[in-house]
Amino acid sequence: MAEPNQLPPGWEAHWDQTHQRFLYVDRESGQQQWEHPLENQPQLAFAQERQAPVANTKRRQYAVDQAAAYSEPVAQYADSSYPPQNIQQPVTPGYPQTFTPGEPQQQSYYQEQQQQYPAQPAYGAGQLADQFSGLGIGGQKPLALHSVNLLTTPPNPLELLAPPPPIRLPPGASILDSPLANADPSYMRCTVGAIPKTAALRTKSKVPLALVLSPNRSLGATEPPVPVVTDTVIARCRRCRTFINPFVQFVDGGSRWKCCVCNMNNEVPQLFDWDSVNNVQADRWSRPELSNGVVEFIAPTEYMVRPPAPLTYVFLVDVSHSAVQSGMLAAACRTILENLDRIPNEEARTKIAIIGFDVALYFFTLLADATEPSMLVVSDVDDVFLPQPSDILVNLTEARAALEALLAKLPSFFAESQTIGSALGPALQAGFKLISNTGGKMVVLTASLPTLGVGALKAREDVKLLGTPKESTLLQAGDTFYKTFAIECSRATVSVDMFLFATTYQDVASLSCLPHYTSGSTFYYPGFNAARVEDVKTFVHEFGEFLASPVGLEVLTRIRASTGLHRSSFHGNFFLRSTDLLAMSALPQDHSYVIELEIEETINAPYVVFQCSNLYTTAFGERRIRVTTLALPTTSNISEIYASADQVAIAAYLANKAVERTLTHKLEDARDMVTKVVTDLLNAYKETVTSAGGQLAIAHNLQMLPLLALGLLKHVALRPSAQIPSDLRAYAHTLFTTLPVQRLIPYLHPTFYALHNMPPECGTIGEHGVILPPALPLSSEYLERHGLYLMEDGLTIFLWVGRDAVPQLMMDVFDLPAYDALRGGKYTLPLLENAFSQRVNAVIGKIREMRRGVYYPPLYVVKDDGEPSLRMWALSTLIQDRGDQTPSYQQWLGQLRDKIASTGY
Amino acid sequence: MNGEAWLFIFAVLAAAALIFTSVFFIVSYSDLETDYINPIDLCNRLNAFVIPEHGLHAFLCLLFLLGFQWTCIVINAPLLAFNVNKIITNNWAHDATEIFRTLGGHKKESFIKLAFYLMCFFYYLYRMIVALIKDDV
Repeated sequence: MAEPNQLPPGWEAHWDQTHQRFLYVDRESGQQQWEHPLENQPQLAFAQERQAPVANTKRRQYAVDQAAAYSEPVAQYADSSYPPQNIQQPVTPGYPQTFTPGEPQQQSYYQEQQQQYPAQPAYGAGQLADQFSGLGIGGQKPLALHSVNLLTTPPNPLELLAPPPPIRLPPGASILDSPLANADPSYMRCTVGAIPKTAALRTKSKVPLALVLSPNRSLGATEPPVPVVTDTVIARCRRCRTFINPFVQFVDGGSRWKCCVCNMNNEVPQLFDWDSVNNVQADRWSRPELSNGVVEFIAPTEYMVRPPAPLTYVFLVDVSHSAVQSGMLAAACRTILENLDRIPNEEARTKIAIIGFDVALYFFTLLADATEPSMLVVSDVDDVFLPQPSDILVNLTEARAALEALLAKLPSFFAESQTIGSALGPALQAGFKLISNTGGKMVVLTASLPTLGVGALKAREDVKLLGTPKESTLLQAGDTFYKTFAIECSRATVSVDMFLFATTYQDVASLSCLPHYTSGSTFYYPGFNAARVEDVKTFVHEFGEFLASPVGLEVLTRIRASTGLHRSSFHGNFFLRSTDLLAMSALPQDHSYVIELEIEETINAPYVVFQCSNLYTTAFGERRIRVTTLALPTTSNISEIYASADQVAIAAYLANKAVERTLTHKLEDARDMVTKVVTDLLNAYKETVTSAGGQLAIAHNLQMLPLLALGLLKHVALRPSAQIPSDLRAYAHTLFTTLPVQRLIPYLHPTFYALHNMPPECGTIGEHGVILPPALPLSSEYLERHGLYLMEDGLTIFLWVGRDAVPQLMMDVFDLPAYDALRGGKYTLPLLENAFSQRVNAVIGKIREMRRGVYYPPLYVVKDDGEPSLRMWALSTLIQDRGDQTPSYQQWLGQLRDKIASTGY
Repeated sequence: MNGEAWLFIFAVLAAAALIFTSVFFIVSYSDLETDYINPIDLCNRLNAFVIPEHGLHAFLCLLFLLGFQWTCIVINAPLLAFNVNKIITNNWAHDATEIFRTLGGHKKESFIKLAFYLMCFFYYLYRMIVALIKDDV
């Protein structure tokens, strides 16, 4: 109805250049108004909107809702019979229809918006309300900067759960003022909410500038899917190739649009306002790409160099003695077998091959009509060839019976295997030959160090090197094969995933290179033993979820940013093919990427735009482009930079930067870098914002940063120690560079709960699922001798049992008579017929499923006086305590204060 | 013509060749920056030239040694040591996965080498002329 061609007689529509909207003029009376004349019957319009949630009236709706939201109390607004005069309140031309965050009574506005945008990721009203009430700000005033003194403010774990400071875009920045115009922070967030206008200001503030993005994040059960533009009309800037987004402006009566990245004026495509399904004129404002920060386009054929490849899996399964003995082979085969139905295969195009390897390669031919698999052995691992051109890689649907038979029998083929050794390199080459023309995924499951053929590695870990400056050499690839082969894979869009199970040294650092440059994932199960139920459960869950996750293939990712912003460095799993082009062989779910930014020239625009576009093939063979857009205001005010800084994003940046630093320099340098960033930041803050002596001030929204940095320094990835095996360090590094922030933050700053005295509602089902107990500060002073505690970092859960735990507690939770009967270590908690046991189990269940990603943390029971190494491991999650060579939180703050004092400010 | 003259004629030609390789490297790096070439091709192309370049330089140094040209050896010794160190530690090759991170360093190295070879070129030219004149007299 916002279309000017549907006007009542006597009315005219004029495109207003300054306000980017139509001005309606009644020729007879000379009356001018911004609203469409047909929509002056508000009750009618409202009723229509209610009926059709995705009505074509969005443009009008905002004014209506907003006017109402401003003048009406919430309850009354919800009432259907609210008085019409409120809606007729004119929206003055000088006041564009702005989305004003921070107005508490606007809650209803958000809810309303949510209903009208059904196809949206959640931007929860409650969450926003919390955020604003928490910050205690309102109106369109600049973000208030509240300083806190770290020395007197104990860290509050709840701060980490708060959303980043709200983004205050200038009025009219987005054409539709949709609350979803900006991508949700879980897709893309920046270390600052207001970009400094000059490089000098950035340097002065010392706040790192980086984007943290996770374009293919998984959606929760209640979250609506990403809206899809199905008509293949894709408007892109001619010069910078930016996709049209909510922050462009229409000019020349709406026939051209001005790019928000490079300011180029572009033609609007002819079919942009055309509904090609019904062959009628469509409402431009209902196009999802104009109102959504995250949107997907179905790509026309111009975006394909070849037809979309089918999803192809090659499983490279270790069948050597160690794999058989640990039970890895049987567990892996069973998991693949059980999850054949969950592997994305909607179009019946998915292809599968299974190759076994020890010192030779074992190929299996899978004929559609045969149920008996036949095995072909290739023992020449120096010059790998495929024994047969066809029937090794087969269609999952067609050869289902043969595949099932093979998976059921495979463990028994090798049950007696005594072969030691692994020709992983040749196996990878064979797999690559099989799929190099279509691309796909190679999934490696191995329990041994590669010893034969190309890519053979040495057990190079030398305990004498651990804890010395030379340690970082152990964290780099041990053989160039793992880089050169990774590049070959990246070229052929082959992605490699690693599941590692060794009980001894396996050189995770070298092996994880392949997933790193081919956008795969690395999973590491040290000391895996299928005899332990917990090990199997963790692996089976994670592997199953991994197989079932909808993966993207043949991915090209480009990050664009407004003029003046340079993308200087990239972190994550991909191969950097050009200065801003990331070649990814796959688009795994819930991987995170960090992009460092530099301000190259002074930015004059009031806001800047970042856009990440992923061109990929879906698991069901459709070529799509996912476009994620984030607009941020610019500022020349240093306090606004601090007030809008996002400590969680800064921590993610620090973690990625520390890994890079470790590999190019030394662990020591990485630690120094983290300390320096925090010190510089505190120093700059002290200099520019506060001058009071004797305190350590930081912005309210950055108060957890020093603790997060301390968590990083104390993490197994960076901690100075001569006892940490390099495999564990290397695995922690791969997690640092891939985990989405939602998981990375608990990985750095674990959560600590007291279970024995948790409030009665905890562990029961509340409004948002199971209610978790309040998180405690991470200090062992909260550990009582009779208590039951839970520490978790998202990948491991520890259940800490105090030595004076009462028999009743032991009975209720473990079904054991007394503390002495309890055995420490990996544990499956029984679900007993009492309320407390059920609540504890519910809390653990909630912890296992509440975050994105496939991980299923195993549970360890830790006895207060139990095995020292396990005890130390559990206590290492309490990062505010003093460690072996690391300071306590108070000492750390003291060190920071002394450093700042000594620099002479 | 005496041996010294021949030696410096060869040195001039070698220096010219080394100048060309340096320029080629620099041009390739800027091609990468402007996206005319992808990092994989770039690294394959450049890695093929690294060893010949180092080899030619080492050979030149050997000839100077055999010709007892101590000044020339002293001039070239630092670069020779730098090259040998790169070969020994096995980090002479361009790594396509790290190329964007190390590009600045590579460029700087190429520019310094270019300046050095240019300087050497004129010095060898001067020595060649001196040797030829001496020869005539």
